Amino acid sequence: MKKYLAIFKINLLNSLAYPAEIATRSGMILVFMFVFFQLWYVTYTASGLQVLNGLTLRDTMWYLLLAETLELGRPRLARVISQQVKDGSIAYLLDKPYDFMLYQLGIGLGESLPRMGILFIIGGILVWALAGAPPDLQNWPLAFLAFSGAWLLHFCVNGLIGLAAFVAEEVAPFEWIYQKLVFILGGLLIPLDFYPAWLQTLSKFLPFAYMMYGPARLFVRQDIQLFIQIIIGQLFWLALLGGLLALTFARGMRRLAINGG
Amino acid sequence: MPAILVSNLSKTFRTKHKAAGLGASLHSLISPQYSNVEAVRGLTFEMESGELLGFIGPNGAGKSTTIKILTGILFPNDGEVHVLGYIPWKQRRQLAYHIGTVFGQRPQLWYHLPAIDTFILFGKIYELDDRAVKQRISYLSEAFEIVDLLETPVRKLSLGQRMRCEVAASLLHKPKLLLLDEPSIGLDVVAKQHIRDAIREMALRENVGVLLTSHDAGDLEALCKRVIVINHGQIVYQDKVSVLKRSFLNSKLVEVRYAQPISPNFHVAGTETLKVSKDLYAIKLRFDPLQTPVENVMAHLSAAGTLLDITVSDPPLEEVIAKIYETTI
Repeated sequence: MKKYLAIFKINLLNSLAYPAEIATRSGMILVFMFVFFQLWYVTYTASGLQVLNGLTLRDTMWYLLLAETLELGRPRLARVISQQVKDGSIAYLLDKPYDFMLYQLGIGLGESLPRMGILFIIGGILVWALAGAPPDLQNWPLAFLAFSGAWLLHFCVNGLIGLAAFVAEEVAPFEWIYQKLVFILGGLLIPLDFYPAWLQTLSKFLPFAYMMYGPARLFVRQDIQLFIQIIIGQLFWLALLGGLLALTFARGMRRLAINGG
Repeated sequence: MPAILVSNLSKTFRTKHKAAGLGASLHSLISPQYSNVEAVRGLTFEMESGELLGFIGPNGAGKSTTIKILTGILFPNDGEVHVLGYIPWKQRRQLAYHIGTVFGQRPQLWYHLPAIDTFILFGKIYELDDRAVKQRISYLSEAFEIVDLLETPVRKLSLGQRMRCEVAASLLHKPKLLLLDEPSIGLDVVAKQHIRDAIREMALRENVGVLLTSHDAGDLEALCKRVIVINHGQIVYQDKVSVLKRSFLNSKLVEVRYAQPISPNFHVAGTETLKVSKDLYAIKLRFDPLQTPVENVMAHLSAAGTLLDITVSDPPLEEVIAKIYETTI
């Protein structure tokens, strides 16, 4: 594992080579959180209620902040891998003694961690100013565990979409569909608590809620039962998607064709 | 046992075709047309351990495809390959511990970070002991004269400096075999010489086998003892570099500089005058030593005036390669 830790560390250093660039790009979260606040403020005010579907305005805003941090901070692995497969540059990453997908995991984490940190801090300052103090510190550890599981699930789905380039010429449509499914069925734009019961039930049988709703909801309310549900769901989907990822990579390698030479 | 054993190796790529225009695009969606490109066809060769072997050919000849099969990156369609006793595509990761690779057009150093960071990363990737890595970095940085460059971000290094760091990094884990794909591409004459000297010295000192692909005849002359010429995925020639030059162009080049101008009509029987300087102080000739004895040419040349300088050389390898292509394509 030491080598993958070293790969993570070097990409972390690489990402930090230009901190101003990360901070500028992360500024987008300020716009998103400001717009979200305006929308939800109107919704709560119009309803005349302090709590809607178990969430206050403050809860909703911190929920959305964590979800946006994950969405904007996760590595764009599908794009990276598909490009490497299409232009053949994947070949130049395969001449070292490591597992390619674990290499990508180290790279992705090294890129993602500083970006997510900055997104959370600058977005958090705005949300604190607009909606109130962050959730109780006792919620954070369980939310962190679920957040890590969600990040890994995104990694697996992104990896699978990227590796689809071995058979499909363009993977952007798959990435677009996946992103929209996370937006809706993952509860990125609206917490699943606001959905009709049937849609909430459906989402439990799909991976998307475990990729977004789970950690964000645990961040604003400590709920052991929900935590166990989320972790079991994440482990199930990680085993399934992780296995599929390893299999797809092994099969894809046989199809690898590199132009030139 | 040979370091590399290749027998009847074949690799075919399937490529999609589409004619120009919207209609052709739609037709291609419904009924895509494919054709097969044979990048490597029945290739057979061996390389001894510690050997310096050149692998040359024009673009699209199959050189890089072969190197990628040898490293385990590509799966062949047919044939047998053993590299250091491993079957590359089945034992890619085990093999990777024993080989070093440099792809001239694909840097492996982290661009925004100092080269030392990549060296340390490679130490971890190859599972080397931290103290051994330190010693090795110190040794390689002396050998490649990169001591002062290690802490400079790679993006600020010149191409020549970067390539020296690249090759040094590929030797960090003491590989038994070094696969160099166009290592001198884009370098100026001085930088090329510098990197050739360093590679040759390290290869001899550590008994590392080197398989080198290059378009630059100078790389082969400076580094390789034996050469394989490949075209259209097949070997068209293999022998010692010196034999290759002798057998394909039975000629010598002679460049002479005189203390005074020679006659404008000066000619040595049995030679071809390639160039006479405008001031008539220098002349360049080509002759076939089997047809015209060397002593005859020398006698004629020294009779023409006082010699200041004389150089006899083999023809450049570019000419040799061109000649092989002419006869085999």
